[in-house]
Amino acid sequence: MLKGCIADIERAATHDGPGLRTTVFFKGCPLSCVWCHNPECISFIPEIMEYPEKCIGCGKCDEGCFSGARVVCGKEMTSDEVLKEVLLDKDYYKTDGGVTFSGGEPLAQPEFLEEIIDKCKNSGINCAIETSMIYFNEDIFKKLDLIMCDLKIWDTEDHKQYTGVGNEQIKDNILKANRLDIPIIVRTPVIPEINQGIEEISKFLKPLKNVMQYELLPYHPLGEGKRRSLRLKETNFSIPNKEYVKELEKYVFIRK
Amino acid sequence: MYSYENRLKEMRKTKIRHTLEKRKQNGYTDLDDFGTVPISEGYCVEPWYNSTNGSFYGYDGMCENFCRVIDAHVPYIDKNEMLCGRWRDMLVNYRGDLHYMPDWLKDNLKNLEFIKNGATNQWSKRWDEQRFPYDHLKPLQAKYNITTGIDADAHFACDYSIGFKLGFGGFLEKIEKYRKINPDKSEFYDAEERCVKAIIRFIERHIKEIDSLIKNEQDEAIKQNLKTMKETCENIRYNPPKTFREACQWTAFFNCAARIYTRDGAGFQVDGLLYPYYENDVKNGILDDETAKFLIANLLLIDPHYYQLSGVDEEDRDMTNHLSYLILDAADSINIACNLTVRVHENCDREFLKKAVYYLLKNKNGWPRFCNDKALLDGYMRNGVDKKTARERIAVGCNWMCVPGKEFPMNDTVKINIAKVLEEALKDMKVENEKSLERLFEIFKEHLKSAVEVTAAGINLHIDHAWEVTPELIMNLMMKNTLERGEDISQCAELYTVGIDGAGLAVVADSFGAIQTRIENEKLLSWDELYTALENNFDDERTRLMLNTAPKYCQGGTVSDEWAKRLTEVWVSTVKSQEMSKCRQLIPGWFSWSRTIEYGSKVGATPNGRRAGEPISHGANPNPHFRTDGAVTAQCNGIASIQCGFGNTAPLQLEFDPHLATDEKGVETVLNLIETHFKQGGTLININVLDKDKLLEANKNPDLYPDLVVRVTGFTAYFASLSPQFRQLVVDRFLEGI
Repeated sequence: MLKGCIADIERAATHDGPGLRTTVFFKGCPLSCVWCHNPECISFIPEIMEYPEKCIGCGKCDEGCFSGARVVCGKEMTSDEVLKEVLLDKDYYKTDGGVTFSGGEPLAQPEFLEEIIDKCKNSGINCAIETSMIYFNEDIFKKLDLIMCDLKIWDTEDHKQYTGVGNEQIKDNILKANRLDIPIIVRTPVIPEINQGIEEISKFLKPLKNVMQYELLPYHPLGEGKRRSLRLKETNFSIPNKEYVKELEKYVFIRK
Repeated sequence: MYSYENRLKEMRKTKIRHTLEKRKQNGYTDLDDFGTVPISEGYCVEPWYNSTNGSFYGYDGMCENFCRVIDAHVPYIDKNEMLCGRWRDMLVNYRGDLHYMPDWLKDNLKNLEFIKNGATNQWSKRWDEQRFPYDHLKPLQAKYNITTGIDADAHFACDYSIGFKLGFGGFLEKIEKYRKINPDKSEFYDAEERCVKAIIRFIERHIKEIDSLIKNEQDEAIKQNLKTMKETCENIRYNPPKTFREACQWTAFFNCAARIYTRDGAGFQVDGLLYPYYENDVKNGILDDETAKFLIANLLLIDPHYYQLSGVDEEDRDMTNHLSYLILDAADSINIACNLTVRVHENCDREFLKKAVYYLLKNKNGWPRFCNDKALLDGYMRNGVDKKTARERIAVGCNWMCVPGKEFPMNDTVKINIAKVLEEALKDMKVENEKSLERLFEIFKEHLKSAVEVTAAGINLHIDHAWEVTPELIMNLMMKNTLERGEDISQCAELYTVGIDGAGLAVVADSFGAIQTRIENEKLLSWDELYTALENNFDDERTRLMLNTAPKYCQGGTVSDEWAKRLTEVWVSTVKSQEMSKCRQLIPGWFSWSRTIEYGSKVGATPNGRRAGEPISHGANPNPHFRTDGAVTAQCNGIASIQCGFGNTAPLQLEFDPHLATDEKGVETVLNLIETHFKQGGTLININVLDKDKLLEANKNPDLYPDLVVRVTGFTAYFASLSPQFRQLVVDRFLEGI
């Protein structure tokens, strides 16, 4: 059976799509956004996150750490193992809740992802994805109930500077996904230090009939602690103030 | 302006002032607010002690002292209110019970003597041990840290329809009627008669006081309110209530009396019993919805009894009515420590449930809570009770239900600390050569059986003699068979389905799970190493963490989840197979009440990595840090899987940060949790929705937040009245839960 690398599985999520959801975080992403709030999901291989403040100094790191000072992020799992976790909350999903595949980039492990989706669908579970839209996989998309994706910066050079890749492919994939008749929610993380072209993004998305919602996600520094634990440089972006976000909110929309 | 809105504002302000004053007078209480007002200037009671034991017991002792305490109560009348009456003091305060004794009474000479003679907060002089000793039970009761229920009072429910039908005058007539039929029971009837007359005197003092206020009142609107208040009191002094206002006022007076007697805390199906009065008054044009709401708010302020709303009738028909909605609106308008329980059934009006959830999220004051009609009914019927009676059983206490008028359940007064039982099992196995998890479980089961046996013996002792120690003279008035036979309810109840709760489930389940994981499966630890670690209270932190990070109960599909289910099976079968005398039977539940600190202090280090003396787990809840995401669904699933299934509860206690908005999505999310947990078999849900920053700030400066209400366990309380230790417990549980 295929195995994939999963960073974490969170239950009872209320911010990763409608209803109550289980969010499966895939490990590994071809982008490396400098503000990423899940930096532990960028590398494709298991890695150790270090929290020295929790160390008890037992000197037995090699025999396994129980203090939380060294946490292994990333676990090889089969689709059945993931499904078993997802099924734990099946009673709570009702009609709109379900499972959300997030990461990292779930589409970077396409065969494994498809196998899980098939099994979830067989169990009657609503499936959503959170993707960077760097990949377009029609077979997978057609099996989903909801696509949540980012268009982070309008200018492709800026996009490349801050995420490591240009955005032509992403824009093109959004256009292609729009033709599949699957509801799409597009999001832009709001980082005050970067000129993201939110007005242009909004104009680009407005005519797309399956983009049901365009929303803004104000940057939060929750990823900074994880960056430290991975020995990565801190980014020090600032949290957008309410006025700034309010000004930008004129560009968001919900299609009835 | 003398509008309902302004009057409610003033009533809330007064309540806040009272909370702070009571804190000064009483010290920290760690209890339900009970709706008391501060002790009045010059208040003094000279108790009558009729036992060489130094306390008072029986019909004459309880009656005489009830009369002395209620007679010492000055009237309470607030011009903003439509109803009058409050209570301030109760009989148990004069029996050396430190658990309830307020600071202002600790200087009392008799109480100083009690304290000097080693009174504890465990029932002390409330049981007459001279006449009914149980020294033979005490060693095992202490060994298993059992809360025995011996001389636990109240903890059953009156049938208010009896009182609404008879009134205080009707009680007197009934006493006279049956006194003639049972001439040998004169002591009982004398006591009952004197108690009713004392309540009537209490009402009469209010009438007199209102009269003098009317004479001095210049404001016409206030004067008119006082006149109606007086007329209402006059109407119900002897007669049964005839209007909605009279029914509310009658309830207020009866509850004050019952509270003074034994701080009894059982209410009734409020939207059911009051509905005919509401309907009739509206039809007659003497009541509008705004007035009805104000009256209910006033009643809730006078006494935050456990009232139940909604649910279905014997034929599974929805009982939600317009008054149910008004009661929620009324509770919202006064927004104090309310103990409202909404009974949930799939046939219930879902809009009503949504409204109930909306108020829970909006006010963040821990009310209402929710109970599961189906699971409780099906479970209770398994004790051989018919459906009609089972449906009458309503939520009237912290974790418990009762059939009003008929049942003597002692619910929430009897508990076994199973963490202590595990400790005894571990001790026994230590001297054996072959150690194994299964052997430990075998010994655990033997100890559990002993614990249940000695608990049952205590329960039988209590029921056999309660009438001679603490007869329920006030609640007897609204029970079946009591006045008719001249017997205390402890002697003549129709149902003796006695609740017995296990406490510390998560500690024990996680302990078995940790042993299975680290010793038996992974072989990271030996039995000897475990015993050494427990004895030295985890000198080696690595060993403690190794055990503490083993898969836990409520994580979902773990070994500890399986252990929790296995423990429940053993708990249920042990309790249900325990033979009881007469027609009594035991009903198992999982609940610790708020005794987690006290129970924990009696238990040494446990194999789940819990240090000696630390609190045990709360109710049926998992241990702290059971999952990194704290998923509420995981907790719901876990607790649904360990229900005992005989009509008593294993409550789900949830703590929410208010990031869940009161919009449609937030309400649906919470209602989905409630409905699904109940579909899975859950029985009772208590939810705290608190603002984290406000809670942390209030923990530092409680007096700045005198209106902050938290659901401590089954009951709600003012945060400012809790001791620092208890406040911290609520804060820790909350921070863990969000």
